[in-house]
Amino acid sequence: MPKKVLIVDDAIFMRNMIKDIFSGSGFEVVGEAANGLEAVEKYKELRPDLTTMDIVMPFKSGIEATREIIKHDAKAVIVMCSALGQESLVMEAIEAGASDFIVKPFKSEDVLSVVRKVLGDA
Amino acid sequence: MSFDLAKYLSLFVAEAAEHLAAFSKGLVELEKAVRAGSGETQPIVDGLFRRAHSLKGMAASMQLEGISALAHKAEDLVDALRKGASGLDAEAVDVLLAAGDALHDMVAAASRGEHPDAPPVLLARLDETSRGRKDVRPDPSSDPAVAPAPPPHAVEAPSLGLAARRIQVEVEVAGSCPVPAVRGFLVVKKLSALGALVRSTPSVEDLKAGRIPGKRLELAIDTAETLQAVERALAQISDIASVSLRVAGGEQPPEKAPAAAAPAAGATDAPRTVRVRTEILDYFLDAVGELLLATARLREVGKTLPASHRPHLDEGVDRLHGIVKDLHDKVMTVRMTPLSVVTERLPRAARDVARKVGKQVDVAIEGAEIEIDRAILEELGDPLVHILRNAVDHGIETPQARLLAGKPSTGRVSVRARRDRDRVILEIADDGKGMDPARLRAAAVARGVLRPDAAAALGDREALQLACLPGVSTAESVTDVSGRGVGLDVVKKTVDTLGGTLEIDSVPGAGTRFTFRLPLTVAVQQVLLVRVGEEVLGLPIAKVHGAAQVELSRLDRSRGAPVLPVGAELVPVHDLSRLLGFPEPTSRGERAVVVAEGADGWIGLAVDALLGQQEAVLKPLGPPLEGLPGLSAVTVLGNGRPVFILDVPRLLAA
Repeated sequence: MPKKVLIVDDAIFMRNMIKDIFSGSGFEVVGEAANGLEAVEKYKELRPDLTTMDIVMPFKSGIEATREIIKHDAKAVIVMCSALGQESLVMEAIEAGASDFIVKPFKSEDVLSVVRKVLGDA
Repeated sequence: MSFDLAKYLSLFVAEAAEHLAAFSKGLVELEKAVRAGSGETQPIVDGLFRRAHSLKGMAASMQLEGISALAHKAEDLVDALRKGASGLDAEAVDVLLAAGDALHDMVAAASRGEHPDAPPVLLARLDETSRGRKDVRPDPSSDPAVAPAPPPHAVEAPSLGLAARRIQVEVEVAGSCPVPAVRGFLVVKKLSALGALVRSTPSVEDLKAGRIPGKRLELAIDTAETLQAVERALAQISDIASVSLRVAGGEQPPEKAPAAAAPAAGATDAPRTVRVRTEILDYFLDAVGELLLATARLREVGKTLPASHRPHLDEGVDRLHGIVKDLHDKVMTVRMTPLSVVTERLPRAARDVARKVGKQVDVAIEGAEIEIDRAILEELGDPLVHILRNAVDHGIETPQARLLAGKPSTGRVSVRARRDRDRVILEIADDGKGMDPARLRAAAVARGVLRPDAAAALGDREALQLACLPGVSTAESVTDVSGRGVGLDVVKKTVDTLGGTLEIDSVPGAGTRFTFRLPLTVAVQQVLLVRVGEEVLGLPIAKVHGAAQVELSRLDRSRGAPVLPVGAELVPVHDLSRLLGFPEPTSRGERAVVVAEGADGWIGLAVDALLGQQEAVLKPLGPPLEGLPGLSAVTVLGNGRPVFILDVPRLLAA
């Protein structure tokens, strides 16, 4: 039973790249969101097993979206995608309830390894 | 409290005491830093926060809700102060100090098996002060550092049941991780969801600042979860090179380390230590003292044996003596405690007095790491505090008076300790207005303690010692802090009992210095044995200046007593036999005169013979003998003979 993934990033190419990483590796990408507002809506609608979340996005940041999703579902597994130099934002996201993080640029095997570990499949 | 928790009670009490001591100390430092405008307040406030937070968690684990609730309120106030430096004023510090004191009392109650409630008035006061100092912020998660999993209003996230215990975790972040501090932060956050975070090295603040030396993280949590549960939680975190878990004080689970990682034996406490009740140490010391005496006795008995048996016995006794002496030294080492145990109270005491009398004081402490016998240390606490309070209350002038005198408005009291062979020298000096010998002389005469001509004959330095006489006080107003004159004489008496001396130096207008000279240990001292008539008596070597063979009739006389030149002084000579009320001495001609410390200055004691110097285990006298003036202790010689140790000043006064 493949795990359901929601990809949140305001850049289309990033969403595509991440989609490619997850496809065919035991995961199914069930939805995408381009900002924090959509992220929360899509989460409630799709109830994915895993959400990858960009940090800086228009309308609502990834940190805010994380906070709201966690409030809605305390067991939500959210992995932040950040660039180098955003460490304090990542930590803020962790405080808001993020389960883990990956740093761009990422290698596909690293992403999968992090995700599998955080889902308890390692 | 259930049986299980009772097991942890003494450890809780000891650790809580440490946290509270550090909390109190931190508050005094904080106030000082704010006054000095040094701006270095953040680390101090963070430290205060950690202490209150730890205490809150520990108390919750022990189901001491009253203590936990009060610690929580204190933590809230410190948190409010963390966010806005404008809130840091004397009032906030006062409230927090009061909270610290109340917590101290509650912990003491808990150690007696009680379940104390937090005083409601204090809780309300903390609330009010916090409210007045909080910045208005929309952010609900006001404590980022150790907030457990949401909701943010929870005091402690998991309810810590009866089986809660402390688990120490060491984690090494993988070298390939580009942001190891963030990884460390994630570890802390994950583990905080499982229990109460007690401490972490590096601290959460450091991690947030990106600091994680050596990519290593050590932390301790109080949790009811199993070790396996903690391991599982850690297994879900990526980029970890190695993990090591240990129940504090308990079993060591097999190390789960794929990569080579050297775990530290004791996570945050470096040397392995044991807590021992002081009564047990006292017992050890007594027992070892008895062993020494018994060994000396054995040696004496050996002297009565025929010569052929002696060498074997002597050899055996020598070896025995060596071992016992060794043991004694070790026990003494164990009893040695750093002076800081007593000196760390001083800044706080000074601050409290200063506030009450409207003065400003800084206390500087140097050399507090020196170790001294616990028995002496215990007696020193109150005298030191008293002298400090005196210095602040009477010595240091008001800020205005100081400025007029060309001094900085903040007075300075320095406490310096150093070792000098077998003595500890402790100096408490202030830069206040000093003591006036003339006023002391007048006060002594007015009090009827000295006749006017005797007072006039005293040198200035000797006159300062008058301050140690009961009832003499030249304070203009008697504040309730000090000044009724009951203090210094008790201090002098305590110092004497400990076998030490107290000197006072002062320069009017510039300041005063009290110098304590104390032996490092109490129980075994060197004594000089003398024979007086049929009796053998002892004098503590510490109080003996020297001895001479003298033909008494050839000495000059002054005021009826023969005087012996000693250095530049003329020392009056008394017949010890007469002082003790013994029958008149029969020997004439040359007598041995011991120059010893008298009530004020040296005196000579004429005795029949000097019997040599010896190490003696001093034992206190019980009633009724302790009532006799002039006897301070007793020891037993190798031949089984009890020998009284003299307290010369008191003997002279009798």
